[in-house]
Amino acid sequence: MLARMEISVDLLKRAAALAGFDWSEAELEPIGPAVERLLEGLRRLDEADLGDAEPTTQYRML
Amino acid sequence: MADLSRMIATKQVSPVEVVRAHLDRIAALDGTLRAFITVCADAALESARAAEADLMAGRAVGPLHGVPWAPKDLYSTKGVRTTGGSKILAESVPAADATVVARLAKAGAILLGKLNMHEFAYGPEGLNAHYGDARNPWSADAHRVAGGSSSGSGVAVAAGLAPGSLGSDTGGSIRIPASLCGITGLKPTYGRASRAGVLPLAWSMDHVGPMARSARDCALMLGAIAGYDPADRTTSVLPVPDYGAALTGDVKGLRVGLLRAHFTDVATPEVKAAIAAAAKQLEAAGAVVDEVNLTQLAHVATGSAAIVGSEALAYHAAWMRTRPQDYQPDVRERLRLGAFVTGVHYVRSQQARALLAREVDEVMARRDVLLAPATPLVAPVLGERETTLGDGPSDVRAALLRCTRPFNFSGHPACATPCGFTQGGLPIGMQIVGRPFDEATVLRVVDAYQRITDWHTRRPAAA
Repeated sequence: MLARMEISVDLLKRAAALAGFDWSEAELEPIGPAVERLLEGLRRLDEADLGDAEPTTQYRML
Repeated sequence: MADLSRMIATKQVSPVEVVRAHLDRIAALDGTLRAFITVCADAALESARAAEADLMAGRAVGPLHGVPWAPKDLYSTKGVRTTGGSKILAESVPAADATVVARLAKAGAILLGKLNMHEFAYGPEGLNAHYGDARNPWSADAHRVAGGSSSGSGVAVAAGLAPGSLGSDTGGSIRIPASLCGITGLKPTYGRASRAGVLPLAWSMDHVGPMARSARDCALMLGAIAGYDPADRTTSVLPVPDYGAALTGDVKGLRVGLLRAHFTDVATPEVKAAIAAAAKQLEAAGAVVDEVNLTQLAHVATGSAAIVGSEALAYHAAWMRTRPQDYQPDVRERLRLGAFVTGVHYVRSQQARALLAREVDEVMARRDVLLAPATPLVAPVLGERETTLGDGPSDVRAALLRCTRPFNFSGHPACATPCGFTQGGLPIGMQIVGRPFDEATVLRVVDAYQRITDWHTRRPAAA
């Protein structure tokens, strides 16, 4: 589960680097609020009871 | 398209005259409307002359013989640049047609050109910094957005620059511009039409489908493009029905579920009234309407963002490493978000998706179709970022996606059609959602509705 943490530009830069993207702080600074909103939604998704639902990767192969 | 096809087949009008008339309208109006990225005037006229010669010689013709059309500029077209609305692919010229483009050509349709779109299909407003923002033809005073991402398709069909188009729909990109521009747009079931040769936004959420003036036109186009394609392993082997034959005009006894919470209840007052009126009109035509709510919608927005963000960044990773400056700013920022989604979140989003698909299936087990707004608001003014819906303030982008995205998540077919106009003269759109691979019933309901209303026949004065 995602822990609540302050999303600094430095943290974004390190997270992006882990994903293989060498984006500058100037490039990442504008998306800080959008990342915060996304992570908040993902926290709620973490907490959701999804039961035994198997992930849908493609719909109804017929 | 159906009318043009019939008139051409019966030699009431020549394909050359039809193509020339559309090219004239493009020349006269597209400087303002910005629907086209590329116009293939010479090739279209050459094809029209060949179509006319075939017709006069009595050679076999397809169901769209001599009828012009234009796809969103993410469909590969042999020898014609396919930009994806981007600077990055500005000079990209495919060596082959996308499967569905080839199928329309085989049916006799004539390519007029390639249509504007939100860059790489990643935005519901239909904005484009490289080729100019398509302009909604229903608004002469203010520049209102056309809706996206298939903005050029919405504008071209509404303004009479092309009688039909193919759009693509990952979160609503066919139905949103159809709603905002007052035309008919069908997102078929995932797997009904091939995505081979179509630039992806998110492979597991992308749907390709027709945009035209009526359900009958969409039926004609879908019949030509649908069906199994070995080049797209996600296409279904189910046989393609005769969609035109399904348009009986009869909805007696058909069970329609009116989607309330999240959909109709949050729409602006004029949209809500139009949806209520449409439900009553269908009821008067013999349909049985009840109200229904979906409960598995809480994670649609986040789940879609996680899935689309991850898949889109995977596709764009190389360019986002080497030339991020060549993307328009909103698309670049949206793509960057994908880097912050983990594999666990991607899979949990797909689980949430399975739950919604299951719930929609259960709801549809007792109903033939569902009815909801296509968009809960009408075309916003360019640059407008905030709006107010029935449940409070909303980001415009989220509001545009709100009613369409659930059915990309679930994969069910859905068709947008105009169902009224605001006092200010802007189109209002509703959508009819169907069972998987039952586009025939969806089109039957939309066609029946279009037989008892005239919203889909109205044309913008500006065009």
